[in-house]
Amino acid sequence: MPTTTLSAEHLRKSFAGPPLFSGLSLRIERGLLAVAGKNGSGKTTLVKILAGLLRPSDGQVRIERDGSPLSGEERRLAVGWAGPDLSLYAELTAVENLRFFRRAAGAAADPADLLRRLAEVGLADAADRRVEEFSTGMRQRLRIAFALLFDPPLLLLDEPMGGLDAEGREMVHGVVAGARTRGAVVLASNDERDFLEPDQRVDLSRARPPA
Amino acid sequence: MSPAPRMSAAARAGVICGKDVAQELRSRVAIVAILFFAATALALVSYAIGPFGLREEDRPALQAALIWIVLFFAAATGLPRAFVHEEETGTALALRKVAPATLVMAGKTLFNFLLFASIAAVAIPGFVLLLDWRIGSASALAATMLLGGCGLAIVSTFLSALVSAAGQRNVLFVLIAFPLLIPLLLTAISATVEATRGGMPWTALRVLFAYDGAAAGAAYMLIGVVWED
Repeated sequence: MPTTTLSAEHLRKSFAGPPLFSGLSLRIERGLLAVAGKNGSGKTTLVKILAGLLRPSDGQVRIERDGSPLSGEERRLAVGWAGPDLSLYAELTAVENLRFFRRAAGAAADPADLLRRLAEVGLADAADRRVEEFSTGMRQRLRIAFALLFDPPLLLLDEPMGGLDAEGREMVHGVVAGARTRGAVVLASNDERDFLEPDQRVDLSRARPPA
Repeated sequence: MSPAPRMSAAARAGVICGKDVAQELRSRVAIVAILFFAATALALVSYAIGPFGLREEDRPALQAALIWIVLFFAAATGLPRAFVHEEETGTALALRKVAPATLVMAGKTLFNFLLFASIAAVAIPGFVLLLDWRIGSASALAATMLLGGCGLAIVSTFLSALVSAAGQRNVLFVLIAFPLLIPLLLTAISATVEATRGGMPWTALRVLFAYDGAAAGAAYMLIGVVWED
């Protein structure tokens, strides 16, 4: 089974003001990397950079499979991402959303497979309901399903417990437990209880350089 | 293991267009706005000018200019939504995650062209009925609408991506679109005049074709920079 590695070297990101973080390096190919930090410390920004959704001001992110860098299209599918900024199409149903995203990525969209994926996040009964009718917790479950849509070896979850009930939190713990044995999970959270015995840890409250 | 893409780029662009069509058919925001605009403009023009308010020799030029004014402004109310709607509703990140910007651009351009075609399908018969527009060469008019609509869709879609992250998007869109679309609109009007008179406007059609090619090439090269960061 090929090994997919996520590494970042000397990352720096600044918007208008001083950098959120600088000289940040990490490397993970299996297990759980916890990203901790106070509100505004740059957790969401870091996760977006790792997901390829935001460019760093400096430094680079590499995703390699058995030592060879992945192409842009391969990277897209190798990294699953869910975060508070992720919204899915309100006018479409849950299953239509998943079908669209798989087909837009060029992958097959077998109806039974899509229903199985929705069932895994507890949305089997809501498959044909429009997302605009979903509660906050149901939307969060659908975000998790989106992150897992291509069975990615690298899973990036930003505040994955947001809006979830106890059962939902248990579901996410199960997802993380499974994904960290098959590949790598990067999990960003304000709540220490979300990190179940991480293998590595980045604390962005300590990574902020002096102004 | 993550799968390698199996579908062709054209099929994936079609999927993105299909999603936009499905969303539009359910929300009907853009289509209602542009058709209402087109119908209102058509009614005002027909009452203000009417079929007999124009001298015979003035008709082709005025009718050609009016049809493109109606098409442009009706389109300007709906076409900018392509990328703007994705940013406003927060779905842009999900879309970026699964498809490269060039494919998204292609899918949304196709959708915008369909939107333009639906406006033209209402406005042209409206002009024929209300303004007594006599089209000398239907094939020349169809070619003009096809090439003019393509150019309008390409430029509008690209500008939609450009302004999607900015404030005052609608104002910015019109301000940037105006100088970029003037050559297209003037050429399309000239071709429409010729089509109304029954001729085939080869020169104008070649210019429109070249404009579309240049706009598509520029959009293809720049869309990644514009939308992905």
